[in-house]
Amino acid sequence: MNISPEEAAQALREIEASRSAMRRAIQTHRGHLYLWLWGCIWVVVSIINWMYEQRALPAMLWIMGFGCLATVVIGMVQGGQIRARIDPRFMKVCATLLIFGYCVWPFLLGDLRSYDFRSYKGAYGYFTVIWMQLYMVAGIWFDSFWFWVGLAVTVIIVTTLMFAPALFWGATLLLGLVLFGSGFLVRNTWH
Amino acid sequence: MNELDSIIHQPARLQIMSAICQLGDGVRVDFTFLKDSLGLTDGNLGAHLATLEAKGYIAIDKEFVARRPKTFVAATPAGRAAFAAHVAALHSILPK
Repeated sequence: MNISPEEAAQALREIEASRSAMRRAIQTHRGHLYLWLWGCIWVVVSIINWMYEQRALPAMLWIMGFGCLATVVIGMVQGGQIRARIDPRFMKVCATLLIFGYCVWPFLLGDLRSYDFRSYKGAYGYFTVIWMQLYMVAGIWFDSFWFWVGLAVTVIIVTTLMFAPALFWGATLLLGLVLFGSGFLVRNTWH
Repeated sequence: MNELDSIIHQPARLQIMSAICQLGDGVRVDFTFLKDSLGLTDGNLGAHLATLEAKGYIAIDKEFVARRPKTFVAATPAGRAAFAAHVAALHSILPK
């Protein structure tokens, strides 16, 4: 088939218009909703832990439960619109990390009831850092952005816990804000 | 030199291929979501998807999500290659 240069230019403009329409349509699928959600949760949890320390635990578990539920709901709604094939190896690595971090180590290797985490802050830091390892694995697998977020949070949590415990809750609050802010970065700059 | 693909060049199909090739490898898009994004009607989109599927440019999967039937569409490797060749052919027509 033969077309004129004007028709070719028009077709290329239509291609770009369709690509832009799709880019706008998938703007809500870039992962920023999770960053906003968990950023807010982290801020709230940091504040109540800062104020009430160990007494904040029941409220924190409820908030985390709400966060997990909201994550599943967002995933189901967005998965009904655009669905990426998730690498099963990635899921298995995540499951292994979570099972080890949340079950094997605290319950089997170190009995959670008697295991001394050194402090409540230590326990909080431990369970937080487990999740950050998932960010790092996701970064290695998909996009280095997640790796650097996970690494930065891990370093700040561990550093403040070990060398500046007085700054620990402030650091976790700041990290919540960083997660929330990076949601805007992901939403506005990823294509 | 790449040749223009008459199947892809039809305006609505060009729109569809541009949109779904924009998504990453292995990413599938819901029929309704695609229809709304491109501003096409059910019948129009369905007919053009059938043409593209018959040519092997897209894959269509039907499955149930929350007990409701859903149709997902994805570009095949052959479809991506054909679309890239078509775009290259369009560029080659433009005056240098």
